Order: sequence, then structure tokens, then C-alpha cells
Amino acid sequence: MTFAQAVRAPQARRVPHRLHREAVAHHRGASRHAATRIRTSSWEIRSFLLASGVIVACFLVVLLYLAQATAVSAASYEAQRLAAQRDELRRQNALLVIESARLDSPARVETEAQRLGLVRAATIRVVVTEAAAATR
Amino acid sequence: MTATISHTRLRFLFAFFTVVSLLLSARLAYWQTVGRADLLSRATDQVHSDLVVAAQRGVIRDRNGAILATTVELRSLYAIPGLMTDRDGHDQKPAVAAALAPILGERPEVLRAAFDSGAEWLFVRRRLPEETAVRIAALPLAGLGFEMEPKRLYPNGSVGAQVLGFVNDDGVGQYGVEGRYAAELSGTPGRLVVARDPANRELALGLRTAVPAKNGDDLSLTIDLAVQNAVERELAAVVEREKAAGGAIVVLDPKDGAVLAIASSPTYDPARVGSADAEALRNRAISWTYEPGSTMKPITIAAALDKGAVTPTTSYQDVGYAVIGGRKLCNAQCKVYGPTTITQILARSQNAGAVFVASKLGASDLNAYLHAFGFGQRTAVDLSAETTGIVRPLAEWYPVDLGTISFGQGLSVTPLQLATAYAAIANGGNLYRPYVVASRRDADGEHRTAPVVVRRVISEETSATLVTMLTTTVDNGIANAASLKGYSVAGKTGTAQIPSDDGSYVDDAYISSFAGFVPAVDPRMVVVVVLEKPQSKLLGTVPAMNTFKAIATDALRYARVQPDRS
Repeated sequence: MTFAQAVRAPQARRVPHRLHREAVAHHRGASRHAATRIRTSSWEIRSFLLASGVIVACFLVVLLYLAQATAVSAASYEAQRLAAQRDELRRQNALLVIESARLDSPARVETEAQRLGLVRAATIRVVVTEAAAATR
Repeated sequence: MTATISHTRLRFLFAFFTVVSLLLSARLAYWQTVGRADLLSRATDQVHSDLVVAAQRGVIRDRNGAILATTVELRSLYAIPGLMTDRDGHDQKPAVAAALAPILGERPEVLRAAFDSGAEWLFVRRRLPEETAVRIAALPLAGLGFEMEPKRLYPNGSVGAQVLGFVNDDGVGQYGVEGRYAAELSGTPGRLVVARDPANRELALGLRTAVPAKNGDDLSLTIDLAVQNAVERELAAVVEREKAAGGAIVVLDPKDGAVLAIASSPTYDPARVGSADAEALRNRAISWTYEPGSTMKPITIAAALDKGAVTPTTSYQDVGYAVIGGRKLCNAQCKVYGPTTITQILARSQNAGAVFVASKLGASDLNAYLHAFGFGQRTAVDLSAETTGIVRPLAEWYPVDLGTISFGQGLSVTPLQLATAYAAIANGGNLYRPYVVASRRDADGEHRTAPVVVRRVISEETSATLVTMLTTTVDNGIANAASLKGYSVAGKTGTAQIPSDDGSYVDDAYISSFAGFVPAVDPRMVVVVVLEKPQSKLLGTVPAMNTFKAIATDALRYARVQPDRS
């Protein structure tokens, strides 16, 4: 039985079903045979639909799994790309921190001060806090 | 007949397929059982990578948090000469060499020779400066690539090099803190096993086993970068002015033995260790010994005072020399001073006076005090390559040794040993173990180094007496050039001859030094300055004292230490 036949079958059997009711009165044996055929046909349809459903369900499950796996893989690649970007930014930050430390180095500051013509203060006046407080 | 032939053919065909099926089944069974492990291994090798995850080396900071050493990933340039072709397959090696040469500061022929060496893969230059790597990356050159490699960087250049040490190309710490704390700084590598795709990307659904790396500990030093910079600047200046063979300076906090600065000349740049002279790698503050000369007189007098053999007012008649063990030991220029007190012995730096004091004390006690002050043994400072100096066992002393050792000849010390001994005089009599690492930070938090009192060497009373005597030596005595406006200074000069290989002394060459602390009362720092073969010769203590003054002025100003004198 093809799928088209199976789909058409219930409608196709309605007319014979009516004929069957008419024939019940006349041919009880024939009706029993027809009932058996209907039950058989119905079981085949249900089996076919069940099998088709299972197949479609399996297909959907596999499709879902593949979609998820693909999404996970894509997310993983994106995570790797972001991790690499993060590492590179951290590296650049470390280089900047080092450059900052180099610029803050007392030796460099001294050299730069000399280049600008600054000289070391000869004397520094210190106010002793205790002595200042005592004079008040 | 036809049916018979047909049946025979069918039988053959059936038999053939049966045999083939059996063979294939057997083969399949073999690969599924016996050969499974091999197949699995080969398949695994194709997609799995087993990597060692390098641990990040710890950062070294000074006491104020300034970075002294840190590690960063830099790009190393590699070449695959076989891929240096254009789309038509023409050789591009000359073009690549010509393009790289000016950026790398290399001659094109050298690069070309490297590309033509037959190597399939080679490093062109390792750990490039970032700007250089960026310039090269922008060039459309075939057959070149970058690989990240860790590089230890020292943002202050050569400042602190002798304390820090360096890290060699294999990532192993050498000398200084890098050598002494190599295990703590380096951490523990991790492991990463992952499945990878042909583009070498990790497969999200593949195998992944990761053992994280344990990064190295961060260290905070007792070193003060500002003081260290001043010390190195002054040492370099005085060594250049005096055309000295070398020199060393140690600055200690006498209250706990924390090392504030250590400088040694000649020195090196940790970024260019490969081109450094071997002598420059030696930290003269801890790995070099010298006869200390008169800077030992305070030690001799401290021992005698502590033992009760003399008092500051004990006097003797100075005739310009002392005779001991049948040898005549003179004052400098054999000058005669007449009646002299113990305080005056220090103020005038009289050798005969030191011999007098040592004779009162005795060889056994002098030897014991020398060891108590830490001479002849390592200070146990947490730096690699410390030496012990030499104090010969008492049994090997000749009678004259009591005299010569009393004024600092016939034994050898390191500048750090002398600094710790002076710190004991300055702080009330406790000998501290000097230390450089103030704290270590790991995953569990910060672990601070507790100062360690090795022993009490002299009483507080003796210490106070010595401080007064050394202050007099600076205020009114031979070390007057070390006096500072606004601050009391205690210290002593030293001029020592240099032993030669034949057992005598080198002619006309000296080691000049000054050891002192400031302020004399409640001292903040002990400074020892040592100059090897200054051109001022016997007057070499003057540049040593000037260096002390310059360092103390800078350090006191920087530390905002209130003047204790008007």
C-alpha cells in the first residue's frame, strides 16, 4: 500500500461501509468478512501512521540534536575567539603596564628632569611640627 | 545441462562470497579486538593535542608596589623558507630578507643565508619588541609567522639588577631574587588535552582534560626603588670619578634588617645579559670579600666595652705604633698622639689604639665577638650566591693576628656583613638576619616575612656608648666629611690594603670605605660604601663619605625623616 492509497483508504471505504449496512440483512457471512477487512485496514493505517510518526519524531530528535551540536560548536568557536581576544587584550594591557612602569622609573624621571634643565634643590627647609606647635 | 552449470556457478559464487565475508569478518573482528587500541591511538593522535600550559612567572615589586620585574608574552618571528614563494611559485626569499632587514636591524645577506640554510623551520628573531612585531605583521610577506614566547621584562633597566638577578632563555632564574626564589616565582605548569579540528581549533564536543597551571608567586621586596636608584646613581658617579675598579653599597634598615638598597659596580642590564661581562654579574655586596680596614675598629671596641675590658675613658699612651707578636704595627703615617682615650682611638682611627684595646680583650674573646657579629659566616640573606668571608679559626691565629684583625686586616668580610654588624650597633645590640623579600603572595594570600633576630651581640648600654663614640668620630673626628646638616651621623671610615696572590699586599692600591648610620639616635638606615682601588688612594675615604652623604641626603628627604639637629 502506498502512502496515497493509505490516505485515501478511509474515504474510499465509506461507500462500501454504507453498502455493507445494506447487505447486513441479506448476507451476514459477507458482513463478517467485510468487518474483518475493515479492522485489518484500520490496523494497517494506524501502524503506518505510528511508524511514520516514530520516524518523523526520530528525525526531529536527530535534527534537534544536530542543531544543538552545531550551536554548541559555533558557541565554542566563538568562545575560543573571545578567549583569544581577551588574552590579547590582557597582553596589550601588560605591555602598557610595563610601559607605565618604565615611564615612572626614577632613573628616567631624573634623566628627563636634567634634559629639561631642572636642578636638584640645594637646601630644603623643614618645619619641625613639635617646635611649630610649641610657639603657638 | 544449463541448470547444472548454473548451480555450479551459484555454488562457486556462494562459496566465494562466503569466504570473502569470513575474511572480512575476521579482519573486522581483528580491528575491533586486537588492533583496536592501535587504531584508537592513531585516530586520537590525529585530532588530539597534549599541551603543557606554561605557568605565569610571578611579578616582583618594590616595597611601594612599583614593578621591578614581570613577564609578558612577546611575539617570536619564525620562517618556513619552503613557503616563501609567490602565486607562480617564484622564490621570494631575497624579497623577504630585504623587507625584514631594516626592521630587524640586520643585514639582508645574513637573513638570506638563514633562509637558504636548508632548515624547514627556523626562528628569525625571538621575543621581538611589540612595535617591531606590529611592523612586520603589517608586511605582506609569505613564509613568516609569529609564535608567542614569555619574556621577563625589567622596566627600570639596570636599576636593581644585582638584587633582582635575571631569567635565562630557558626561563630559569639566575642570581639575586630570581635565582633564590626560582621555585616560588616559576609556579607549576598545567596540562591541556583537547580534540582539535583541522584548523587547530578546539572541538567543543571532543575530549577535554585540563589541569590548570599554578602561576608563580608574586614577591614584594624590601627594596625601595627611589633609594635604590639614588644608590646606583651615586655609586656609578663615584666609581667613574675615582676611576675605581669597582664598588658596592648596602643600605639597611637597622630596626629589622630589611635591605633598602644594594648596588654593585660594575653592573649589567638584565635585558642584555648575553653581552654582560662575567665580573658584572657578581653582586659585590654579597659575593665579594675584602679586608675592611678601620671600619672594624668599632667592632673591636664594642667587644672590649661589652666584655668590660675597657671604658670610653680608658686611656693609653700612644707612641705611634704597637708591638705585638714581635711585629711593629703603626698608626697611619706612624703619627704619634700621646695620651689617648678609647673614644679618641675611633675619632682618630689609631691602629695602635685598636691593638691596645684588642690586647686588653684577648684573642679568644675577639674571635668570639667577630663570630657573634656574623663575620666568617653567611648572613643568610635571601639572595643567591652569598659568600662567607674569612675569619680564620682561633687555632690558626698568630700572635700578630690579634693586632692586625683589631683594625680590620687579616680577615675578609662582605659589605653586607659589615652593614648587619653596624645595624646591630645602631639598633641596641641585636643582630638581624638581613632580608630582601618582604612578602610573598600566592593563591592562599599574602605571607609576610617576619624579621629574625639572630642573636643579641652586645648590650644596649654598649650599643649606646658606641653610638656616641661613632657620632663623635663624625662630628669631630676623621669622618667629619660624612656629617649632614640637620642630622646626627654615626660612622667610621676604613682604608685597607689589598692582599696579593703571593701573600703580601698590593703596592699603592687600597680599598676605601665608610660605614655609618643616620640619624645616630633612632637610626633609619645603615649605609656601607666600599670603593675598590679609587684613584684618591689613601684619601679614598673622602669620596666614600661624600657618597654616603649624597645617599643619606636623598633617602632622608625622600623618607621625610625629621631633622634631629638644628
